[in-house]
Amino acid sequence: MVSQKIKTEEFWNPEHVVEKFWNGLKEGVIYAKKCSNCGAVEFPPHLACNTCGYPETEWIQLTGKGKLKSFVFTGVLNARLELEDRGLKYVCGEVELDEGPSLNAVILGINKKKGREIEDKLPVRVRPVFYDMGEYTTLFFELDE
Amino acid sequence: MEVKINKNMRSVSIVGIGATPFFNGVENETYRGLSNGELFGHAALDAMKDAGIQPKDVQFFFHGSANPYVLNHCITPNIQVADWCGMRGKGSISHSEACCTGYIALEEAVFAVASGAYDVVLTGAADQATSMPDGNTPAHRRVPMTSEVLFPDLDSIFDAAYGRYLGGGPGMNHDDWINYYAHEYNFSKEFIDDVLAHQAYHFRRAATLCPRAIRRKPYEEIAKEAGYDDVWEYMKSPHNPKMTQYLRTSSDSCVADGAGACIVVPTEIAHKFTDKPVKVLGIGASVLDAIVPHLEKKATAEAARQVYELTGLTADDMDILYVNDFIGSSAFLAAEEVGYLPKGEGWKYVLDGSIAYDGDKPINTNGGRTSYGHAMAASGMADVFEAVTQMRGEAGERQVKKLPKHVLLRGFGGGQNVRCIILESDF
Repeated sequence: MVSQKIKTEEFWNPEHVVEKFWNGLKEGVIYAKKCSNCGAVEFPPHLACNTCGYPETEWIQLTGKGKLKSFVFTGVLNARLELEDRGLKYVCGEVELDEGPSLNAVILGINKKKGREIEDKLPVRVRPVFYDMGEYTTLFFELDE
Repeated sequence: MEVKINKNMRSVSIVGIGATPFFNGVENETYRGLSNGELFGHAALDAMKDAGIQPKDVQFFFHGSANPYVLNHCITPNIQVADWCGMRGKGSISHSEACCTGYIALEEAVFAVASGAYDVVLTGAADQATSMPDGNTPAHRRVPMTSEVLFPDLDSIFDAAYGRYLGGGPGMNHDDWINYYAHEYNFSKEFIDDVLAHQAYHFRRAATLCPRAIRRKPYEEIAKEAGYDDVWEYMKSPHNPKMTQYLRTSSDSCVADGAGACIVVPTEIAHKFTDKPVKVLGIGASVLDAIVPHLEKKATAEAARQVYELTGLTADDMDILYVNDFIGSSAFLAAEEVGYLPKGEGWKYVLDGSIAYDGDKPINTNGGRTSYGHAMAASGMADVFEAVTQMRGEAGERQVKKLPKHVLLRGFGGGQNVRCIILESDF
Protein backbone atom coordinates (compact mmCIF):
# COMPACT_ATOMS: atom_id res chain seq x y z
CA MET A 1 0.00 0.00 0.00
CA VAL A 2 1.25 3.37 -0.92
CA SER A 3 0.03 6.13 1.41
CA GLN A 4 -1.51 9.06 -0.40
CA LYS A 5 -1.33 12.47 1.17
CA ILE A 6 -3.96 15.03 0.30
CA LYS A 7 -2.43 18.27 -0.87
CA THR A 8 -3.55 21.38 0.98
CA GLU A 9 -4.78 22.85 -2.32
CA GLU A 10 -7.21 19.94 -2.70
CA PHE A 11 -9.23 20.86 0.36
CA TRP A 12 -8.56 24.61 0.52
CA ASN A 13 -8.26 26.50 -2.72
CA PRO A 14 -9.77 29.88 -1.89
CA GLU A 15 -10.68 32.50 -4.40
CA HIS A 16 -9.15 35.90 -3.75
CA VAL A 17 -12.19 38.12 -3.47
CA VAL A 18 -10.63 41.45 -2.51
CA GLU A 19 -7.82 41.07 -5.05
CA LYS A 20 -10.27 40.18 -7.83
CA PHE A 21 -12.42 43.21 -7.01
CA TRP A 22 -9.56 45.72 -7.19
CA ASN A 23 -7.99 44.06 -10.26
CA GLY A 24 -11.42 44.29 -11.87
CA LEU A 25 -11.61 48.04 -11.33
CA LYS A 26 -8.24 48.38 -13.04
CA GLU A 27 -9.85 46.75 -16.10
CA GLY A 28 -13.03 48.80 -15.83
CA VAL A 29 -15.07 45.88 -14.51
CA ILE A 30 -17.18 46.06 -11.33
CA TYR A 31 -17.40 42.68 -9.63
CA ALA A 32 -20.05 41.84 -7.08
CA LYS A 33 -21.58 38.67 -5.66
CA LYS A 34 -25.12 37.40 -5.80
CA CYS A 35 -26.66 35.32 -3.04
CA SER A 36 -27.37 31.76 -4.17
CA ASN A 37 -30.39 31.69 -1.86
CA CYS A 38 -32.18 35.05 -1.84
CA GLY A 39 -30.62 36.60 -4.94
CA ALA A 40 -29.58 39.80 -3.17
CA VAL A 41 -26.55 41.53 -4.67
CA GLU A 42 -23.61 41.70 -2.25
CA PHE A 43 -21.53 44.76 -3.02
CA PRO A 44 -18.68 45.12 -2.51
CA PRO A 45 -18.29 41.33 -2.75
CA HIS A 46 -17.74 39.15 0.33
CA LEU A 47 -18.02 35.42 1.07
CA ALA A 48 -21.51 35.07 2.58
CA CYS A 49 -24.76 36.96 2.02
CA ASN A 50 -25.35 39.88 4.36
CA THR A 51 -29.01 40.18 3.41
CA CYS A 52 -30.33 36.72 4.38
CA GLY A 53 -27.30 35.17 6.07
CA TYR A 54 -26.82 32.35 3.51
CA PRO A 55 -23.19 31.14 3.27
CA GLU A 56 -22.82 30.93 -0.53
CA THR A 57 -22.66 33.62 -3.22
CA GLU A 58 -21.78 33.68 -6.95
CA TRP A 59 -19.82 36.21 -8.98
CA ILE A 60 -21.65 38.75 -11.13
CA GLN A 61 -20.74 42.06 -12.76
CA LEU A 62 -22.47 45.38 -12.18
CA THR A 63 -22.97 48.32 -14.53
CA GLY A 64 -21.95 50.84 -11.87
CA LYS A 65 -24.92 52.97 -12.81
CA GLY A 66 -27.33 54.11 -10.18
CA LYS A 67 -28.72 57.08 -8.35
CA LEU A 68 -27.34 59.50 -5.81
CA LYS A 69 -29.90 59.76 -2.99
CA SER A 70 -28.17 62.08 -0.50
CA PHE A 71 -24.78 63.75 -0.16
CA VAL A 72 -22.65 65.95 2.07
CA PHE A 73 -19.67 68.19 1.50
CA THR A 74 -16.69 67.59 3.73
CA GLY A 75 -15.03 70.19 5.98
CA VAL A 76 -11.69 70.50 7.76
CA LEU A 77 -12.62 67.72 10.18
CA ASN A 78 -13.59 65.05 7.64
CA ALA A 79 -11.98 66.03 4.32
CA ARG A 80 -10.66 63.14 2.22
CA LEU A 81 -7.06 64.26 2.07
CA GLU A 82 -6.14 61.93 -0.80
CA LEU A 83 -8.76 63.74 -2.93
CA GLU A 84 -8.00 67.24 -1.62
CA ASP A 85 -4.33 66.72 -2.49
CA ARG A 86 -5.37 66.06 -6.09
CA GLY A 87 -7.46 69.22 -6.16
CA LEU A 88 -10.67 67.27 -6.84
CA LYS A 89 -14.16 68.67 -6.27
CA TYR A 90 -16.26 65.93 -4.68
CA VAL A 91 -19.05 65.07 -2.31
CA CYS A 92 -19.68 61.93 -0.27
CA GLY A 93 -23.11 60.41 -0.63
CA GLU A 94 -25.43 57.41 -0.68
CA VAL A 95 -25.44 55.74 -4.09
CA GLU A 96 -28.05 53.09 -4.83
CA LEU A 97 -26.89 50.94 -7.74
CA ASP A 98 -29.40 49.81 -10.36
CA GLU A 99 -28.85 46.18 -9.33
CA GLY A 100 -30.01 46.97 -5.76
CA PRO A 101 -27.17 47.51 -3.30
CA SER A 102 -26.47 50.89 -1.68
CA LEU A 103 -23.16 52.24 -0.46
CA ASN A 104 -21.54 55.40 0.78
CA ALA A 105 -19.42 56.61 -2.12
CA VAL A 106 -17.43 59.52 -3.51
CA ILE A 107 -19.03 61.50 -6.33
CA LEU A 108 -16.63 63.63 -8.35
CA GLY A 109 -17.19 66.91 -10.13
CA ILE A 110 -19.64 68.51 -7.70
CA ASN A 111 -18.70 71.95 -6.44
CA LYS A 112 -20.82 74.11 -4.11
CA LYS A 113 -22.77 75.62 -7.02
CA LYS A 114 -23.51 72.25 -8.61
CA GLY A 115 -24.39 70.88 -5.17
CA ARG A 116 -27.03 73.56 -4.69
CA GLU A 117 -28.43 72.82 -8.15
CA ILE A 118 -28.95 69.11 -7.60
CA GLU A 119 -29.91 69.22 -3.91
CA ASP A 120 -33.61 69.65 -4.60
CA LYS A 121 -33.61 67.25 -7.54
CA LEU A 122 -32.43 64.18 -5.62
CA PRO A 123 -32.24 61.36 -6.46
CA VAL A 124 -30.10 62.03 -9.56
CA ARG A 125 -28.46 59.52 -11.92
CA VAL A 126 -24.77 58.69 -11.53
CA ARG A 127 -22.31 56.61 -13.54
CA PRO A 128 -19.00 54.98 -12.53
CA VAL A 129 -15.57 56.58 -12.70
CA PHE A 130 -12.60 54.24 -12.60
CA TYR A 131 -10.10 56.52 -10.92
CA ASP A 132 -6.36 55.83 -10.94
CA MET A 133 -4.98 56.48 -7.45
CA GLY A 134 -1.49 55.39 -8.46
CA GLU A 135 -1.03 52.08 -6.65
CA TYR A 136 -4.63 51.01 -7.22
CA THR A 137 -7.70 52.01 -9.23
CA THR A 138 -10.79 52.84 -7.20
CA LEU A 139 -14.47 53.30 -7.95
CA PHE A 140 -15.91 56.78 -7.72
CA PHE A 141 -19.02 58.14 -9.41
CA GLU A 142 -20.02 61.22 -11.40
CA LEU A 143 -23.32 62.75 -12.42
CA ASP A 144 -24.87 61.03 -15.45
CA GLU A 145 -26.39 64.10 -17.07
CA MET B 1 -31.26 40.85 10.08
CA GLU B 2 -32.77 41.25 13.55
CA VAL B 3 -31.46 39.45 16.59
CA LYS B 4 -33.39 38.43 19.68
CA ILE B 5 -31.28 38.54 22.82
CA ASN B 6 -31.84 36.41 25.92
CA LYS B 7 -31.77 37.29 29.59
CA ASN B 8 -28.43 36.78 31.30
CA MET B 9 -27.91 33.57 33.32
CA ARG B 10 -27.89 35.77 36.42
CA SER B 11 -28.57 39.44 36.99
CA VAL B 12 -25.58 41.76 37.40
CA SER B 13 -25.32 45.08 39.28
CA ILE B 14 -22.90 47.98 39.48
CA VAL B 15 -21.78 48.52 43.07
CA GLY B 16 -18.80 50.83 42.69
CA ILE B 17 -17.76 53.64 40.34
CA GLY B 18 -14.60 55.68 39.92
CA ALA B 19 -13.39 58.29 37.45
CA THR B 20 -10.57 60.75 37.02
CA PRO B 21 -11.42 64.20 35.70
CA PHE B 22 -11.13 64.66 31.94
CA PHE B 23 -8.21 66.97 31.20
CA ASN B 24 -5.62 68.06 28.70
CA GLY B 25 -2.44 66.36 29.82
CA VAL B 26 -0.34 68.50 27.50
CA GLU B 27 -1.51 71.88 28.79
CA ASN B 28 -2.49 71.07 32.39
CA GLU B 29 0.60 70.99 34.60
CA THR B 30 -1.21 69.21 37.44
CA TYR B 31 -1.75 66.16 35.24
CA ARG B 32 1.14 66.36 32.78
CA GLY B 33 3.38 63.29 32.98
CA LEU B 34 0.79 60.81 34.26
CA SER B 35 0.93 57.38 32.62
CA ASN B 36 -1.95 55.21 31.40
CA GLY B 37 -1.35 52.77 34.27
CA GLU B 38 -1.62 55.56 36.84
CA LEU B 39 -4.86 56.88 35.32
CA PHE B 40 -6.40 53.42 35.19
CA GLY B 41 -5.12 52.68 38.69
CA HIS B 42 -6.68 55.81 40.20
CA ALA B 43 -10.07 55.16 38.59
CA ALA B 44 -9.95 51.46 39.52
CA LEU B 45 -9.00 52.08 43.16
CA ASP B 46 -11.71 54.76 43.42
CA ALA B 47 -14.29 52.27 42.11
CA MET B 48 -13.13 49.65 44.61
CA LYS B 49 -13.26 52.17 47.45
CA ASP B 50 -16.77 53.14 46.37
CA ALA B 51 -17.78 49.46 46.54
CA GLY B 52 -16.12 49.06 49.94
CA ILE B 53 -13.61 46.52 48.67
CA GLN B 54 -9.88 46.26 48.05
CA PRO B 55 -7.82 44.85 45.19
CA LYS B 56 -7.55 41.51 47.02
CA ASP B 57 -11.34 41.11 46.66
CA VAL B 58 -11.42 41.57 42.86
CA GLN B 59 -11.22 38.35 40.82
CA PHE B 60 -10.80 39.54 37.23
CA PHE B 61 -10.54 42.80 35.33
CA PHE B 62 -11.03 44.32 31.88
CA HIS B 63 -8.96 47.19 30.49
CA GLY B 64 -10.37 49.18 27.59
CA SER B 65 -8.48 51.63 25.40
CA ALA B 66 -9.45 53.04 22.04
CA ASN B 67 -6.14 52.70 20.28
CA PRO B 68 -3.43 51.35 22.60
CA TYR B 69 -0.76 51.14 19.93
CA VAL B 70 -0.83 54.73 18.69
CA LEU B 71 -1.81 56.41 21.98
CA ASN B 72 0.26 54.25 24.29
CA HIS B 73 2.69 52.18 22.23
CA CYS B 74 1.50 48.87 23.62
CA ILE B 75 -0.67 46.00 22.45
CA THR B 76 -1.65 44.27 25.71
CA PRO B 77 -2.32 47.15 28.10
CA ASN B 78 -4.15 44.93 30.63
CA ILE B 79 -0.82 43.38 31.56
CA GLN B 80 0.84 46.78 31.84
CA VAL B 81 -1.84 48.32 34.10
CA ALA B 82 -2.47 45.27 36.35
CA ASP B 83 0.25 46.20 38.84
CA TRP B 84 -1.21 49.73 39.14
CA CYS B 85 -4.36 48.50 40.86
CA GLY B 86 -3.08 45.59 42.91
CA MET B 87 -4.19 43.00 40.35
CA ARG B 88 -0.83 41.32 39.60
CA GLY B 89 -1.21 37.69 38.62
CA LYS B 90 -4.98 37.71 38.25
CA GLY B 91 -6.83 37.14 35.00
CA SER B 92 -7.54 40.11 32.76
CA ILE B 93 -8.29 41.11 29.17
CA SER B 94 -7.62 44.23 27.16
CA HIS B 95 -10.16 45.24 24.53
CA SER B 96 -10.44 48.05 22.05
CA GLU B 97 -13.54 49.27 20.23
CA ALA B 98 -12.50 52.87 19.64
CA CYS B 99 -15.02 55.37 21.07
CA CYS B 100 -17.47 52.59 22.04
CA THR B 101 -14.89 50.89 24.26
CA GLY B 102 -16.23 52.26 27.55
CA TYR B 103 -19.73 50.87 26.98
CA ILE B 104 -18.42 47.50 25.82
CA ALA B 105 -16.24 47.51 28.94
CA LEU B 106 -19.45 47.29 30.96
CA GLU B 107 -20.91 44.64 28.64
CA GLU B 108 -17.82 42.43 28.94
CA ALA B 109 -17.80 42.63 32.74
CA VAL B 110 -21.52 41.91 32.90
CA PHE B 111 -21.03 38.77 30.79
CA ALA B 112 -18.16 37.62 33.03
CA VAL B 113 -20.37 37.83 36.12
CA ALA B 114 -23.62 36.74 34.45
CA SER B 115 -21.99 33.51 33.30
CA GLY B 116 -21.20 32.58 36.88
CA ALA B 117 -17.45 32.51 36.29
CA TYR B 118 -16.71 35.47 38.59
CA ASP B 119 -18.47 37.30 41.40
CA VAL B 120 -16.42 40.51 41.68
CA VAL B 121 -15.14 42.07 38.46
CA LEU B 122 -13.41 45.37 37.78
CA THR B 123 -13.84 46.99 34.41
CA GLY B 124 -12.33 50.26 33.32
CA ALA B 125 -11.08 52.28 30.40
CA ALA B 126 -8.27 54.80 30.13
CA ASP B 127 -6.94 56.92 27.29
CA GLN B 128 -4.71 59.93 26.83
CA ALA B 129 -5.88 61.34 23.53
CA THR B 130 -4.17 64.74 23.73
CA SER B 131 -0.69 63.25 23.48
CA MET B 132 1.38 60.28 22.39
CA PRO B 133 4.53 58.50 23.61
CA ASP B 134 7.78 60.39 23.19
CA GLY B 135 9.49 57.76 21.08
CA ASN B 136 10.85 54.77 22.93
CA THR B 137 11.04 56.31 26.42
CA PRO B 138 9.28 55.72 29.80
CA ALA B 139 5.54 56.36 29.99
CA HIS B 140 5.66 59.70 31.84
CA ARG B 141 7.34 61.25 28.79
CA ARG B 142 4.67 62.21 26.29
CA VAL B 143 4.53 64.73 23.47
CA PRO B 144 1.49 66.51 21.97
CA MET B 145 -0.54 64.47 19.47
CA THR B 146 -0.07 65.92 15.99
CA SER B 147 -2.50 65.93 13.09
CA GLU B 148 0.24 64.31 10.96
CA VAL B 149 0.02 61.24 13.21
CA LEU B 150 -3.67 61.38 14.15
CA PHE B 151 -5.40 62.11 10.84
CA PRO B 152 -3.98 59.28 8.73
CA ASP B 153 -4.44 56.93 11.69
CA LEU B 154 -8.15 57.80 12.08
CA ASP B 155 -8.75 56.01 8.78
CA SER B 156 -7.77 52.75 10.47
CA ILE B 157 -11.29 52.44 11.90
CA PHE B 158 -12.65 52.05 8.36
CA ASP B 159 -12.71 48.78 6.40
CA ALA B 160 -9.29 48.24 4.80
CA ALA B 161 -10.63 45.81 2.19
CA TYR B 162 -13.06 48.23 0.57
CA GLY B 163 -14.67 51.19 2.37
CA ARG B 164 -11.52 53.09 3.27
CA TYR B 165 -10.45 53.19 -0.38
CA LEU B 166 -13.87 53.65 -1.94
CA GLY B 167 -13.80 56.68 0.32
CA GLY B 168 -17.42 57.70 0.82
CA GLY B 169 -18.02 56.33 4.31
CA PRO B 170 -15.07 58.07 5.97
CA GLY B 171 -16.19 61.41 4.52
CA MET B 172 -19.81 60.99 5.66
CA ASN B 173 -19.15 59.85 9.21
CA HIS B 174 -20.00 63.19 10.83
CA ASP B 175 -22.75 64.67 8.73
CA ASP B 176 -24.69 61.82 7.18
CA TRP B 177 -27.38 61.55 9.85
CA ILE B 178 -28.00 65.25 10.43
CA ASN B 179 -28.09 65.77 6.65
CA TYR B 180 -30.58 62.93 6.26
CA TYR B 181 -32.68 64.42 9.07
CA ALA B 182 -32.63 67.92 7.58
CA HIS B 183 -33.89 66.55 4.25
CA GLU B 184 -36.42 64.18 5.81
CA TYR B 185 -38.13 67.03 7.67
CA ASN B 186 -37.23 69.81 5.26
CA PHE B 187 -35.22 71.90 7.73
CA SER B 188 -32.91 74.63 6.48
CA LYS B 189 -29.20 74.55 7.27
CA GLU B 190 -29.66 77.74 9.31
CA PHE B 191 -32.32 76.09 11.43
CA ILE B 192 -30.17 73.02 12.08
CA ASP B 193 -27.30 75.36 12.98
CA ASP B 194 -29.55 77.03 15.54
CA VAL B 195 -30.65 73.71 17.06
CA LEU B 196 -27.07 72.48 17.38
CA ALA B 197 -26.00 75.79 18.96
CA HIS B 198 -28.72 75.44 21.61
CA GLN B 199 -27.79 71.85 22.27
CA ALA B 200 -24.11 72.73 22.79
CA TYR B 201 -25.17 75.63 25.01
CA HIS B 202 -27.33 73.47 27.30
CA PHE B 203 -24.72 70.73 27.53
CA ARG B 204 -22.19 73.36 28.59
CA ARG B 205 -24.57 74.51 31.33
CA ALA B 206 -24.35 70.99 32.78
CA ALA B 207 -20.58 70.78 32.39
CA THR B 208 -20.20 74.10 34.18
CA LEU B 209 -21.60 72.30 37.25
CA CYS B 210 -19.55 69.15 36.70
CA PRO B 211 -16.12 69.32 38.36
CA ARG B 212 -14.73 66.46 36.25
CA ALA B 213 -15.60 68.13 32.91
CA ILE B 214 -12.81 69.59 30.78
CA ARG B 215 -14.77 72.61 29.44
CA ARG B 216 -16.60 74.35 32.25
CA LYS B 217 -16.70 77.99 31.14
CA PRO B 218 -20.27 79.08 30.30
CA TYR B 219 -20.84 80.17 26.70
CA GLU B 220 -22.06 83.59 27.90
CA GLU B 221 -18.63 84.21 29.39
CA ILE B 222 -16.80 82.93 26.30
CA ALA B 223 -18.98 85.14 24.10
CA LYS B 224 -18.26 88.23 26.23
CA GLU B 225 -14.52 87.58 26.10
CA ALA B 226 -14.78 87.45 22.31
CA GLY B 227 -16.69 90.74 22.26
CA TYR B 228 -20.27 89.45 21.88
CA ASP B 229 -23.10 90.48 24.21
CA ASP B 230 -25.42 88.00 22.48
CA VAL B 231 -24.33 84.41 23.05
CA TRP B 232 -26.31 83.19 19.99
CA GLU B 233 -24.50 85.66 17.78
CA TYR B 234 -21.23 84.28 19.10
CA MET B 235 -22.31 80.69 18.43
CA LYS B 236 -22.72 81.50 14.73
CA SER B 237 -19.60 83.66 14.48
CA PRO B 238 -16.18 82.85 13.01
CA HIS B 239 -15.06 82.28 16.61
CA ASN B 240 -17.08 79.07 16.45
CA PRO B 241 -16.22 77.94 12.91
CA LYS B 242 -17.77 75.12 10.92
CA MET B 243 -15.60 72.00 11.05
CA THR B 244 -17.87 70.03 8.73
CA GLN B 245 -20.83 71.03 6.58
CA TYR B 246 -23.08 71.08 9.67
CA LEU B 247 -20.93 70.91 12.80
CA ARG B 248 -19.24 73.90 14.38
CA THR B 249 -16.44 73.60 16.92
CA SER B 250 -19.09 73.70 19.66
CA SER B 251 -20.61 70.49 18.29
CA ASP B 252 -17.27 68.74 17.96
CA SER B 253 -15.85 66.62 20.77
CA CYS B 254 -13.14 68.10 22.97
CA VAL B 255 -10.20 65.69 22.99
CA ALA B 256 -9.13 64.80 26.52
CA ASP B 257 -7.25 62.39 28.78
CA GLY B 258 -8.94 60.42 31.53
CA ALA B 259 -10.08 57.12 32.98
CA GLY B 260 -13.22 55.58 34.43
CA ALA B 261 -13.98 52.27 36.11
CA CYS B 262 -16.69 50.32 37.86
CA ILE B 263 -17.18 47.18 39.93
CA VAL B 264 -19.89 44.68 39.00
CA VAL B 265 -21.21 41.78 41.07
CA PRO B 266 -24.24 39.43 40.99
CA THR B 267 -27.41 41.38 41.87
CA GLU B 268 -28.21 38.85 44.61
CA ILE B 269 -25.20 39.99 46.67
CA ALA B 270 -25.08 43.65 45.51
CA HIS B 271 -26.58 45.02 48.74
CA LYS B 272 -23.62 43.64 50.70
CA PHE B 273 -21.44 46.21 48.88
CA THR B 274 -23.63 49.31 48.71
CA ASP B 275 -27.02 50.65 49.73
CA LYS B 276 -27.53 51.91 46.21
CA PRO B 277 -26.75 49.21 43.67
CA VAL B 278 -27.70 49.73 40.01
CA LYS B 279 -28.82 46.76 37.92
CA VAL B 280 -27.70 46.31 34.32
CA LEU B 281 -31.04 45.20 32.87
CA GLY B 282 -29.87 44.51 29.34
CA ILE B 283 -27.56 45.48 26.50
CA GLY B 284 -28.56 45.66 22.84
CA ALA B 285 -25.84 45.55 20.20
CA SER B 286 -25.47 46.30 16.51
CA VAL B 287 -22.39 46.97 14.40
CA LEU B 288 -22.20 48.46 10.90
CA ASP B 289 -19.19 49.55 8.86
CA ALA B 290 -19.07 53.06 7.46
CA ILE B 291 -19.79 51.91 3.91
CA VAL B 292 -23.43 51.27 4.93
CA PRO B 293 -25.63 54.32 4.30
CA HIS B 294 -27.16 55.86 7.45
CA LEU B 295 -25.36 53.34 9.63
CA GLU B 296 -25.63 55.28 12.90
CA LYS B 297 -29.40 55.60 12.57
CA LYS B 298 -29.82 51.94 11.62
CA ALA B 299 -27.53 50.48 14.29
CA THR B 300 -29.01 52.70 16.99
CA ALA B 301 -32.53 51.59 16.07
CA GLU B 302 -31.58 47.91 16.12
CA ALA B 303 -29.67 48.03 19.42
CA ALA B 304 -32.53 49.93 21.07
CA ARG B 305 -35.12 47.52 19.68
CA GLN B 306 -33.21 44.57 21.16
CA VAL B 307 -32.92 46.01 24.65
CA TYR B 308 -36.55 47.20 24.78
CA GLU B 309 -37.73 43.76 23.67
CA LEU B 310 -35.53 42.07 26.27
CA THR B 311 -36.55 44.28 29.19
CA GLY B 312 -40.16 44.94 28.27
CA LEU B 313 -39.49 48.62 28.91
CA THR B 314 -40.11 51.49 26.51
CA ALA B 315 -38.51 54.87 25.96
CA ASP B 316 -41.24 56.36 28.18
CA ASP B 317 -39.71 54.48 31.12
CA MET B 318 -36.31 56.20 30.66
CA ASP B 319 -35.50 59.10 32.98
CA ILE B 320 -32.17 60.14 31.45
CA LEU B 321 -30.50 59.38 28.14
CA TYR B 322 -26.75 59.32 27.60
CA VAL B 323 -25.51 59.47 24.01
CA ASN B 324 -21.92 59.24 22.90
CA ASP B 325 -21.98 62.51 20.99
CA PHE B 326 -18.46 62.98 19.70
CA ILE B 327 -20.48 63.88 16.62
CA GLY B 328 -22.52 66.58 18.36
CA SER B 329 -25.71 66.12 16.36
CA SER B 330 -25.90 62.48 17.49
CA ALA B 331 -27.32 63.53 20.85
CA PHE B 332 -30.80 64.67 19.84
CA LEU B 333 -30.90 62.46 16.72
CA ALA B 334 -30.25 59.32 18.79
CA ALA B 335 -32.78 60.59 21.34
CA GLU B 336 -35.40 60.57 18.57
CA GLU B 337 -34.28 57.22 17.18
CA VAL B 338 -34.57 55.43 20.54
CA GLY B 339 -37.96 57.08 21.14
CA TYR B 340 -36.81 59.29 24.04
CA LEU B 341 -37.91 62.34 22.06
CA PRO B 342 -40.70 62.26 19.43
CA LYS B 343 -39.58 61.61 15.84
CA GLY B 344 -39.02 64.82 13.92
CA GLU B 345 -39.63 66.94 17.02
CA GLY B 346 -36.45 66.47 19.03
CA TRP B 347 -35.35 69.95 18.01
CA LYS B 348 -38.21 71.47 20.04
CA TYR B 349 -36.84 69.90 23.21
CA VAL B 350 -33.39 71.20 22.34
CA LEU B 351 -34.52 74.76 21.66
CA ASP B 352 -36.61 75.06 24.84
CA GLY B 353 -33.90 73.46 26.99
CA SER B 354 -35.91 70.33 27.95
CA ILE B 355 -32.83 68.23 27.17
CA ALA B 356 -30.76 70.10 29.77
CA TYR B 357 -29.96 68.59 33.17
CA ASP B 358 -32.71 70.77 34.68
CA GLY B 359 -35.24 70.01 31.93
CA ASP B 360 -37.91 67.32 31.69
CA LYS B 361 -36.05 65.17 29.17
CA PRO B 362 -32.44 65.32 30.36
CA ILE B 363 -29.67 64.14 28.03
CA ASN B 364 -25.93 63.95 28.80
CA THR B 365 -26.10 65.50 32.26
CA ASN B 366 -22.30 65.65 32.48
CA GLY B 367 -22.12 67.84 29.36
CA GLY B 368 -21.39 65.12 26.82
CA ARG B 369 -18.34 64.93 24.58
CA THR B 370 -18.51 68.55 23.47
CA SER B 371 -18.15 69.86 27.04
CA TYR B 372 -17.32 67.01 29.42
CA GLY B 373 -14.63 66.02 26.92
CA HIS B 374 -13.76 62.93 24.96
CA ALA B 375 -11.04 60.68 26.33
CA MET B 376 -11.92 58.06 23.71
CA ALA B 377 -12.34 54.72 25.52
CA ALA B 378 -12.87 56.39 28.89
CA SER B 379 -15.85 58.41 27.65
CA GLY B 380 -18.32 55.53 27.85
CA MET B 381 -17.19 54.70 31.35
CA ALA B 382 -17.56 58.39 32.27
CA ASP B 383 -21.18 58.10 31.11
CA VAL B 384 -21.68 55.05 33.33
CA PHE B 385 -20.12 57.01 36.21
CA GLU B 386 -22.48 59.95 35.64
CA ALA B 387 -25.54 57.72 35.16
CA VAL B 388 -24.95 55.89 38.44
CA THR B 389 -24.18 59.19 40.22
CA GLN B 390 -27.52 60.62 39.05
CA MET B 391 -29.40 57.43 39.96
CA ARG B 392 -27.97 57.59 43.46
CA GLY B 393 -29.03 61.24 43.71
CA GLU B 394 -25.45 62.35 44.24
CA ALA B 395 -24.98 64.77 41.32
CA GLY B 396 -25.18 67.90 43.43
CA GLU B 397 -26.09 71.08 41.57
CA ARG B 398 -26.68 69.24 38.29
CA GLN B 399 -28.94 66.57 39.83
CA VAL B 400 -31.91 65.99 37.56
CA LYS B 401 -35.38 66.95 38.82
CA LYS B 402 -36.74 63.43 39.19
CA LEU B 403 -34.57 60.75 40.79
CA PRO B 404 -34.00 58.40 37.84
CA LYS B 405 -35.28 54.84 38.01
CA HIS B 406 -34.15 53.88 34.51
CA VAL B 407 -31.35 55.24 32.35
CA LEU B 408 -30.53 54.42 28.73
CA LEU B 409 -26.99 54.73 27.39
CA ARG B 410 -26.32 54.75 23.63
CA GLY B 411 -22.67 53.87 23.02
CA PHE B 412 -21.14 54.51 19.60
CA GLY B 413 -17.74 54.34 18.04
CA GLY B 414 -15.12 52.70 15.93
CA GLY B 415 -16.57 52.86 12.49
CA GLN B 416 -19.14 51.92 14.14
CA ASN B 417 -20.05 49.77 17.14
CA VAL B 418 -23.35 50.59 18.84
CA ARG B 419 -24.63 49.49 22.24
CA CYS B 420 -27.87 50.38 24.01
CA ILE B 421 -27.67 49.72 27.74
CA ILE B 422 -30.53 50.02 30.24
CA LEU B 423 -29.70 50.54 33.92
CA GLU B 424 -32.21 50.33 36.78
CA SER B 425 -31.78 51.58 40.34
CA ASP B 426 -32.28 48.75 42.82
CA PHE B 427 -33.01 50.55 46.07
